[in-house]
Amino acid sequence: MTDASTHGSLRGRRILIAKPGLDGHDVGAKVIALALRDAGADVIYTGLRKSPGYIARVAVDEDVDAVGLSILSGSHKELVEEIVEQLKALGARQVPIFVGGTIPEADLPELDRLGVKGVFTSAMKLDDVVAAVTEALV
Amino acid sequence: MTAPLQPTFDRLRVSKELSRVASATVEEILHGAGAEPERSRRMRVIGITGAPGVGKSTLIGRLARSRLKGARSLAIVAIDPTSPCTRGSLLGDRIRMEDLGEDPRVFIRSLPSGTSEDGLTDNVAEVLDVLEGSGFDEALLETVGVGQTAQGVRTLADVEVLVLAPGAGDHIQAMKAGVMETADIHVVNKAEQPGAERLVAEVLGVRRRARAGASAAATVIQVRAGESTGVEQLSAALDERLAAGAAVDMQRVRQRYRVQQLVQRRLQETLDQLPVTTWDASLPDNYLAVLRRLHAEARQFNPSK
Repeated sequence: MTDASTHGSLRGRRILIAKPGLDGHDVGAKVIALALRDAGADVIYTGLRKSPGYIARVAVDEDVDAVGLSILSGSHKELVEEIVEQLKALGARQVPIFVGGTIPEADLPELDRLGVKGVFTSAMKLDDVVAAVTEALV
Repeated sequence: MTAPLQPTFDRLRVSKELSRVASATVEEILHGAGAEPERSRRMRVIGITGAPGVGKSTLIGRLARSRLKGARSLAIVAIDPTSPCTRGSLLGDRIRMEDLGEDPRVFIRSLPSGTSEDGLTDNVAEVLDVLEGSGFDEALLETVGVGQTAQGVRTLADVEVLVLAPGAGDHIQAMKAGVMETADIHVVNKAEQPGAERLVAEVLGVRRRARAGASAAATVIQVRAGESTGVEQLSAALDERLAAGAAVDMQRVRQRYRVQQLVQRRLQETLDQLPVTTWDASLPDNYLAVLRRLHAEARQFNPSK
């Protein structure tokens, strides 16, 4: 699904795609997971409804280069903040975090402050998502 | 309920060490190997193999619960296939091990199969070394769903479990001459589904032919969804098998496997480096050219470098 420019761009990279919180829609998360895989990444997918503590521990155990969070419930600020806290509590370095879902523009500065490297919405092209992740991991 | 025992390993360190060896090149492995020959292993390794979709990950999740009783740590290495087209992978075994997620004694690492073609992953022996060195007493090793070629897990695991499920008849056909005969324990998973009885009978038939009837019945365990009897039976059978020890000197067999894996990868790298016009020559010429190339590499190789 990705074009030649992103082909293999994420080879050897480990990326966690996680769904924190209570919303039960993971089509978007799966589409992103497959796009990243097709760009050569090793993608670890957690499945639905995971706690911030669990996601942080998976990020550590799997030694991922980036964490992608799919959040459609509206509580993205709280969830991101808690995951960042939990990662710190485990002594992990700050890995780049990406957020996908329904995120109002007004929340972008706050997510940026929490260290989020990119926010993706359904309006974005998959190639652009892959390119943005690639750029953040160089 | 008693509070869970505190884990004995350092999460961050294990994790970084595993990444280092899992992605190491042939040369890095050789340079890091040291001068010692393969030594005996203390950590118990339970290999779990079987065709895709038979429920290996779910079974491992349930089995891990049982293995954790009284244990201080448990490692799980779950391998999923690397795409030959994009070299990427989707590692989703965790989804089916859900209820393990909140137990800090469990360490799960998902790995792509990489260039390995026997259901395992590159440098899997070194991955197990790291886990042992980090203090784990036991590891569950889940292979990519494979059919006939599961020699790797047979070599590295102290006990090999083959998971089967009713309704996957074609896979049984494919496995009859291979792992069906070498596995120590057969699990008929999803045994609540139709066809399970027939599958058990089929497995017993293959075992009987392979081992001339010797206690074949004891090695087939039925596991049903929502029922813990089968899983407990499996865990007990594993303990029995682990206590019995290996029949042959596994140190030598493992060393041989490591060497074979490294040489195969090196050969692959060598073939990849040759220009495509190489293959216009005759078969004997090509064969000799590749051997000469490997010979030249051997002369340059200096492990202490």
